[in-house]
Amino acid sequence: MNGPGTATNQVTAPGEGVFYVCGECGWENKIKPGDTIQCRECGYRILYKKRTRRVVQYEAR
Amino acid sequence: MVRKRKSVRFAQGEAEDELQGGVGHPTAGSHDQAMECLTRDPSKLSQPIRHLQDKYELLPAFLRVRGLVRQHIDSFNYFIQHEIRKIVKAKANVKVTCDSDPNFYLKYLNIYVGDPVVEEDYVATDITPHQCRLRDMTYAAPISVDIEYTRGEETVVKRAAESIGGNEPDENMLNSGDRGVERKERTKGAISIGRLPLMLGCCRCILQDKTEEELSELQECPLDPGGYFVVKGVEKVILIQEQLSKNRVIIDLDSHGLPCASVASATHERKSKTHLIVKSDGRILLKHNTFAEDVPICIIFKAMGIESEQEMLQLICTSKEHMNLMVPSIRECMEVGIHVQKQALEYCASKFKSSRHTYTYSKGNAGRKKKKGNEKARNNGDANGSVGQDAGEDRYKHPFTLRTKVDEARDVLAGVILSHVPAPGYNFREKAFYLSTMTRRLLEALIDPEKVDDKDYYGNKRLELAGQLLALLFEDLFKRLNSDLKRQADAVLSKANRATQFDIAKCFRPDTITNGLEHAIASGNWTVKRFRMERKGVTQVLSRLSYVATLGMMTRITSQFEKTRKISGPRALQPSQWGMLCPCDTPEGESCGLVKNLAIMTHVTTDDEDPGSLKQLIYSLGCESIHLVTNSTQHEGQKRSLVYLNGSILGVHRKPEMLATTLRQLRRKGMGVGIYVSVQCDDSAVNIASDGGRVCRPLIICDRGAARVTKEHTEMLKRNELNFDDLLTMGLVEYLDVNEENDCLIALREGDLDEETTHLEIEPFTILGVCAGLIPYPHHNQSPRNTYQCAMGKQAMGSMAYNQHKRMDTLLYLLVYPQKPLVKTKILDLINFDQLGAGQNATVAVMSYSGYDIEDAIVMNKASLDRGFGRCVVLRKYGTTIKKYTNRTSDRIVPVHRPMDPSDDPKFVKLKKNLMRSHKLLDDDGIAAPGSKITDGDMYINKQTPTQIRDPVAESIQRQNSFYKPTPQYYKGPRGETGVVDKVLLTSNEENHFLVKALIRHTRRPEVGDKFSSRHGQKGVIGAIVPQEDMPFSDMGICPDLVMNPHGFPSRMTVGKMIELLGGKAAVFDGKLKDGTCFAGDSVEGLCKILTEHGFSYSGKDYLTCGQSGEPLQAYIFMGPVYYQKLKHMVMDKMHARARGPRVVLTRQPTEGRSRDGGLRLGEMERDCLVAHGASRLILERLMYSSDQFTVHVCSKCGLLGYYDHREERGMCSKCGKSEQVKPVKIPYACKLLFQELQSMNIVPRLELS
Repeated sequence: MNGPGTATNQVTAPGEGVFYVCGECGWENKIKPGDTIQCRECGYRILYKKRTRRVVQYEAR
Repeated sequence: MVRKRKSVRFAQGEAEDELQGGVGHPTAGSHDQAMECLTRDPSKLSQPIRHLQDKYELLPAFLRVRGLVRQHIDSFNYFIQHEIRKIVKAKANVKVTCDSDPNFYLKYLNIYVGDPVVEEDYVATDITPHQCRLRDMTYAAPISVDIEYTRGEETVVKRAAESIGGNEPDENMLNSGDRGVERKERTKGAISIGRLPLMLGCCRCILQDKTEEELSELQECPLDPGGYFVVKGVEKVILIQEQLSKNRVIIDLDSHGLPCASVASATHERKSKTHLIVKSDGRILLKHNTFAEDVPICIIFKAMGIESEQEMLQLICTSKEHMNLMVPSIRECMEVGIHVQKQALEYCASKFKSSRHTYTYSKGNAGRKKKKGNEKARNNGDANGSVGQDAGEDRYKHPFTLRTKVDEARDVLAGVILSHVPAPGYNFREKAFYLSTMTRRLLEALIDPEKVDDKDYYGNKRLELAGQLLALLFEDLFKRLNSDLKRQADAVLSKANRATQFDIAKCFRPDTITNGLEHAIASGNWTVKRFRMERKGVTQVLSRLSYVATLGMMTRITSQFEKTRKISGPRALQPSQWGMLCPCDTPEGESCGLVKNLAIMTHVTTDDEDPGSLKQLIYSLGCESIHLVTNSTQHEGQKRSLVYLNGSILGVHRKPEMLATTLRQLRRKGMGVGIYVSVQCDDSAVNIASDGGRVCRPLIICDRGAARVTKEHTEMLKRNELNFDDLLTMGLVEYLDVNEENDCLIALREGDLDEETTHLEIEPFTILGVCAGLIPYPHHNQSPRNTYQCAMGKQAMGSMAYNQHKRMDTLLYLLVYPQKPLVKTKILDLINFDQLGAGQNATVAVMSYSGYDIEDAIVMNKASLDRGFGRCVVLRKYGTTIKKYTNRTSDRIVPVHRPMDPSDDPKFVKLKKNLMRSHKLLDDDGIAAPGSKITDGDMYINKQTPTQIRDPVAESIQRQNSFYKPTPQYYKGPRGETGVVDKVLLTSNEENHFLVKALIRHTRRPEVGDKFSSRHGQKGVIGAIVPQEDMPFSDMGICPDLVMNPHGFPSRMTVGKMIELLGGKAAVFDGKLKDGTCFAGDSVEGLCKILTEHGFSYSGKDYLTCGQSGEPLQAYIFMGPVYYQKLKHMVMDKMHARARGPRVVLTRQPTEGRSRDGGLRLGEMERDCLVAHGASRLILERLMYSSDQFTVHVCSKCGLLGYYDHREERGMCSKCGKSEQVKPVKIPYACKLLFQELQSMNIVPRLELS
């Protein structure tokens, strides 16, 4: 039960930002709070969050 | 490309030969045919080769050219290419002047609709529809104008830069289309006046004429029909509105059962309705909103200058009977003593509604007149005609400065009554003629009640599409923009000295139009004050449940009738709707028959681009203008027919049939007459219509019993060497509207052709619409079953579009393994249902099994579910906007503060654990991570809102954490289900607000209670899920996916489903898809033959072994594949129960509704049951103990409610001030509330205790 909790602590090392993938060119942008949401490479304004790197176990039924 | 052109020209030549030299000639293609012609029976030599194979090919060709929603796109294109220009160039709108400076003017030179762009950070960037959907923006293009105006003493002309500088090559490049209508519209003017939401697929849309690859590059589905708008990220459809046609005389029965003639005149300036009514004593009166009292018809005629009764009767009457009927009217006129025009006008003026008099007398200087007009508009909210802007009035302005009542009456007659009939320079000739024909039709209806028009006849209906509705709105907004400009000019120019020169070009505020259009489409409220129009629900959110739902929505027609009326007339299926509207597709319930759907080949016309040329043509074809013919001769001697163009009289013609045929021939040749112009001939008139909103459909032209489309043509169509438009230009196929269909003899099948036949249906099944077209063998089903399926097909889950995983819809249901049906229909192929299916082919055993299949329930095979049958994905969008407030603060999303070392305090640890649980999804940015599992109560966005959002706040305070209060977003979902965060999107919208959207995905397998249906209106829920071991199986080892109870068949009479089962079985065994098209399709005999060839019974029945006992089943079982749809109603979304839960604050009763975790209502009828049963204690328990029990303290002396004194621990009566006789009583809280409310209204409820 404490699996996810400990994993969180390990993954989120302090100072490491979150990357967002541009919907147009795929460039990985690092965006801080307060920045405009825009791809640095192509200026596209739709960014997606990257998939979690935590271990997730899904149930297949 | 060139080769294609050549072949077309060849074909065209051929067609012309056919047209000119002996219509019946066989199209000489090869020598063999010529030989064949010679060797045949000489009497039949002139007859062409019969039997047209594959005339069905016309349909795909038609849809290739047209698409499924052409009517919407055409209408919108017409608006942005022609109508918008007409509006701006209209006399009332083109010029803005100002009262304070007579030299000032602003004139619009041209208007342009640009390409879809959005301006962000002062940079205009191109936008795609998909971007707009994701970013909650509006897919819109700027509207810009070229203007000419005065700035001080000089005249300034402002045009877009391109027209002055030479950007010619660019323009020419754009002008690749060879339409000779206009050289090329530039798309940009000098000054932007607003943004117009663009329809997807219109001529300005970037999706137009894109290939499949290009579309997928734009993340757009190539199968998406377009025809809708994207407003603030929501897809909106402007539904087709059905109305009674404008500017046509309709004879109807009034409330007294007497006939009355009415015309709804509609011009750009004004809308008004004129009635001719008959009194019980036979007088004919004219009824109009401007008159307080009905005016006798004879007085109107006299006011129009027809002073002699003889002339009047000659105009109106054709027989003695008519004249006799006119006697009371004439006598009345005599009795009033009105003989000359002046008297009549005075009489009319005296009957005006009083509000008109307020502006009758005033001096006619320019400025005053303007004001007068405005005043008029304000005063006359009720008077129909005069609500219009002043320009309409100006046209009929009297030259003299002093206007008398007579002038006023003359103005009203010329401009307001029957306003669609012009009276240039007070020449009432045309108007009097029109009124006389109206009167005559009324008289005829008096003599013969059969002559009363059928209001439900579809030729009397007009469909209003997006373009027309937007044009109405745009004109209103444009007028508002102009009056704003005028007001600004007035304000500035009236001042004596100004600091700077007044430049009106800087005063344009684009918000008026942008917001007006956007708001109307977003809310669906169409308000045009000018016409007192207030419609609600004009637009609807495009249903994206399935591909069929989307298509079905685009063809939907709503009518203006109120739903409450119980009359059946407008709801009934009208014979004239044949081929135009789908006979099956209509909702059940209150809007049954009022909401209709277009058939697959129906087209809705747009207004004629150039009505003047058609008019000229008709005159040059021998039509005599009514200004030139005498009144009397028109009904005497030789036959003369009136010629109507769009409801107004053009003149008379001596040979009406010839005129009609000539016009038709010209139309077929594409010479001067548009393809959608309809010509209809009856005994007394030729009706020519080129107006917009008529429904029409293409038909094959036949002459002398032979269709003009031949085998060669269909083969060329098949090879794509010819398209549908070529057939039109070659004159082989033509569009007919409902009225012209009445003049034609249309053969349903080729075998029915004879000498008299004028047209041949392309295919009989084209009478069906998109939804009904999916049903296999619908002609074998009971009619309501097809209607049910039309409604259910829209709820079926499946693939929605190719870009379904790119989209972020609020709610999306997708089937995991969609299949295409084994038994197809032709329409199904045409709408690409096979590429975006919404169901699966299930092996169905029609038998009784386990008792869990009664009342339409179905028994499912567990193994099938394990293998993915009926499995679906539910995607739901959650999200939030990061708002910016006026005091320059804004919301923020912050990472969760996670303490690194857990404190030792056990209480604190537990708290933290809870905190961790709800926060565990969040990443370092405070937003849930895609891919993580989410359950009820999890936080997915950790948002914070400032505590101060109004007053300015210092920046140092803004940085403090205490300035923000947490407003986190929690996920709320069914308790038992865990979802997955599928996608998280960050973007900003037009106002530069940040948006965060999270898509949460569930995968669901069918469970007991989920709803399924076949394509025959046979819906049912899963009653039981049975392990495969227990299911019956055939000798081949085939085990059904679902078991259906045979009792579903006899009462429903869905024979189509049985044939589908046979067809499916045959398809499985011979490996070929079967065709179940309406009125055609594979025959049952053929299917049975296939079955027997593969060793099955012709009947489709199989020997089955019982899975439970292993014994053979007593009967042979009808088993085979049927296409089953999973409907969106699933138990998981509906299941609800509660023991304890939230209560409403006011009444303290349990809340209502599943979403609020509400209680289950024990309603009136349930209560009645308990009363009847005598279970009174149970009622008490349900209605009080388990609901809102409350203890009140009642004074048994005065009967009023007291209170409980906790210090003294006893009840007190505040009225008596005593506590002795106060008793505690248990009553419902709502009851106590009622007593108190009654008391507040000065009513004293007293309780008597016993």
